[in-house]
Amino acid sequence: MTATQTDISTGEVAAEQRVTEEELARRARQKELTSRWFWRILSYVVVLAVWEFALLDIFSWLRGNPLDPKLLPGPSEVLATFGEIWGEGTMPAAFQATLTRIAVGFGLSFLIGAMVGILMQSKWFEGFFKDAVLISLSAPGLIWVLITAIIFGNRPIGPTIAIILTTFALVTVNVSEGIRALPKDLLDMAKSFKVSLYKRNRQIVIPHLAPYLFTGLRFGFSIAWKVTVLTEVFSSSEGIGFEMRISAVLFDMSEFLTWILAFFFFALFLEKVVLEAIERRYFRWRQAVVAS
Amino acid sequence: MADIKIKNLHKEFGTGDDKVVALEDVNLDISGHSFVSIVGPSGCGKSTLLNILTGIETPTSGTVDITSDGRVAAPGYVFQAARLLPWRTVTDNLLFVQEDRSSETKQRCQRYLEMVQLGDKGDKFPGELSGGMQQRVGIARAFCIEPDVLFMDEPFSHLDAITARALRRELHHMWAETKKMVVFVTHDVGEAVELSNRILVFAKGGRLTDDIGVELPFPRDPSDDEVAVAKAHVLRKFEELDLLAS
Amino acid sequence: MTTTETPRRNDVSASTAMSSAPNPLAVAVRIVKSPHFARLLFPVFLFAVWHITLAAVEQVWPFAVDVLPTPGEVGAFMWDEFITDTLARKNLYETFYISLRRLMSGFAIAMVLGTALGLAMGLSRATNAFCHDWTMAILAMPALAWALFNSIIFGFDDRGPILTVILAGIPFVIVNVREGVRNTPRELFDMARSFKVPQSRIIRHVLVPSLLPFMFAAARYCFSIGWKGLVIAEVFGGQDGAGWTIKFWYDAHRAHGVVGYAAFFVIFAILFERLVFEPISRRAFRWRPQLQTEVVEEAFTENQDLQDQERPVR
Repeated sequence: MTATQTDISTGEVAAEQRVTEEELARRARQKELTSRWFWRILSYVVVLAVWEFALLDIFSWLRGNPLDPKLLPGPSEVLATFGEIWGEGTMPAAFQATLTRIAVGFGLSFLIGAMVGILMQSKWFEGFFKDAVLISLSAPGLIWVLITAIIFGNRPIGPTIAIILTTFALVTVNVSEGIRALPKDLLDMAKSFKVSLYKRNRQIVIPHLAPYLFTGLRFGFSIAWKVTVLTEVFSSSEGIGFEMRISAVLFDMSEFLTWILAFFFFALFLEKVVLEAIERRYFRWRQAVVAS
Repeated sequence: MADIKIKNLHKEFGTGDDKVVALEDVNLDISGHSFVSIVGPSGCGKSTLLNILTGIETPTSGTVDITSDGRVAAPGYVFQAARLLPWRTVTDNLLFVQEDRSSETKQRCQRYLEMVQLGDKGDKFPGELSGGMQQRVGIARAFCIEPDVLFMDEPFSHLDAITARALRRELHHMWAETKKMVVFVTHDVGEAVELSNRILVFAKGGRLTDDIGVELPFPRDPSDDEVAVAKAHVLRKFEELDLLAS
Repeated sequence: MTTTETPRRNDVSASTAMSSAPNPLAVAVRIVKSPHFARLLFPVFLFAVWHITLAAVEQVWPFAVDVLPTPGEVGAFMWDEFITDTLARKNLYETFYISLRRLMSGFAIAMVLGTALGLAMGLSRATNAFCHDWTMAILAMPALAWALFNSIIFGFDDRGPILTVILAGIPFVIVNVREGVRNTPRELFDMARSFKVPQSRIIRHVLVPSLLPFMFAAARYCFSIGWKGLVIAEVFGGQDGAGWTIKFWYDAHRAHGVVGYAAFFVIFAILFERLVFEPISRRAFRWRPQLQTEVVEEAFTENQDLQDQERPVR
């Protein structure tokens, strides 16, 4: 409708109208935003209130018999436990252990995944790696965790292999997707202008592939941290997963929830805030293309 | 025979300071076996007029009556994009808009499919057809509900020149054969001159500025002198309007 | 030269048909170069790596691993399981039946609830704003957390694993259905209305088919994620089922049992995909000329949602 309106209007009227139109659109956006934030904040209040006051009854009803309140601490209690654990000073060390494992495992996985993705451009290697990718995508991460745990015991190589086997295929799929979507027209254009191979790679291929690699990175990370925590449950004596196992064995739900929620928020922060901010910053041209 | 009577039609969007006039005091009568083209620059209100005629929008003031022999006329539509259900076969797409699925209806659908030269494509899905074929299905769909009047909104603008030309010829034959009234919106003056016996020119601001009768024999070849002259005549009107607007 | 120009896809069949061809060497080269051959080569390659690792462990680094099962052990174990000769409490078929039953209950509940929520979120902005963050939070929460939590709350019965399946799968259903509602083909609804097609027929022929691909993607996802969640839940809070059984072999420290059972997991997931989802997909989406049936291709729906947040509101 906006298009018609601006087209029809003429002369001074148009300028005047455009201002009011913009103003109107701005006001509508403002209203929409306010309403969105209202519902959003309300949802936080409602969920936290339900958790604090009603969740125990809900679970008791689901179970069919009353649940021990100690098994389901409310948010206030979890927050208090967080304060305690933070005071003890064990949290940064556990975070560091887990993050190191993720960095090593997923770093290797990313390299391997990207290499396989590049190799899979050849039909022969596609056939060769097809089942590997399929298995990696469809198998529960748990089985790699258990297999590596039983084979390698507490050696650090076990979790690394488990992380690689669960996440490499995600990177592979993104990379081959990116290569398949290489802008042939641009490459042909560059060739017809006799642009050198180096420059073609530097100016066309790499900028094109970067966002795909980044998607692989972001998506792979979201899986990698979960597997890492799982490996720590089985074959490690430090890290978030280890702490979770200890508190679960001791039926200390408050500590259990504290550990998992602390790392959950941290991972979510990395995933949604840091990585997405990087993506928005460096790959803005891509969104612009999509939008137009 | 269908009759379209438009009296003092007025359409505006928004209120107060944001008011925009899309159509201003349009008076119009269309009757009989006419092929009427509505042309004008973008934003002249021709789409709005079509939306009002097809009932998608309601006028701010004024009346629109579309009748056929005293009763409310049955309309048919051809859209800019074919708008076929991609998950139904060509035949099922035609049956989708029918009132029943009797064998007569099926035969009628088949007849119109043959008329647009797609008699053997009934079992195909739209995705398996080319853009031109899809638009043919769209035309067959509009004709096979046997409407009193057909509304078309730039139906050939998405097609390549050669396909569009072939379809224009087919459309003309179908119009001549079925004696339907056609109201055809386009921005292509050549197309309008080639197909219609009446051209309505709209200017920015939604005013009907010209009502041109085209009394040339069919079939019209765009390269014929007379057709070229008629086209030039309409184009000149456009230029005058452009001067007025700027 | 003509041999290299034939499409590679047909290589194997073409070469057998032309077995009387004069040059056997060219035929052999063509077979080796075919992707099908490469596909068959992969398991061979795996076995080779396995054997080399075994040899290396025995002779070079005896302390690199705790225990490494041989292919023979694993094969024998899988065969024993296959003919229901097992040390575990329930045989292979009973075990997978129990797990499948739990998976199906959770899957059905997740599909129903998720569809309802997805529709509500697609239709109402307020509902979307209310539920969006929590959907994302549930989506990002590892199944391990649900599994441990539910095992503590519910102890060792069916409800813990089923709830885990629901919580693991439901965000995918919500996100896909919402996307489906947002992508309804408005121009087709307009078309149908202008032709005065009755409402019931519009629902059946326009609304349902347009939502179907999204529902199908949702089902596929919910199933595969639910399966992954279920085995973790059974490991921590089960007395039977596939997850419990693999943990049984793990606790018994039978490496060949763990590897063999893991292989059954993979086979189960792939069989289900091939025998259930692919035939349904082929039948239901005949109209889509360029349909990608591979799961691999659909592994990105989750990302859609991430981009979706940045899209301006209309």
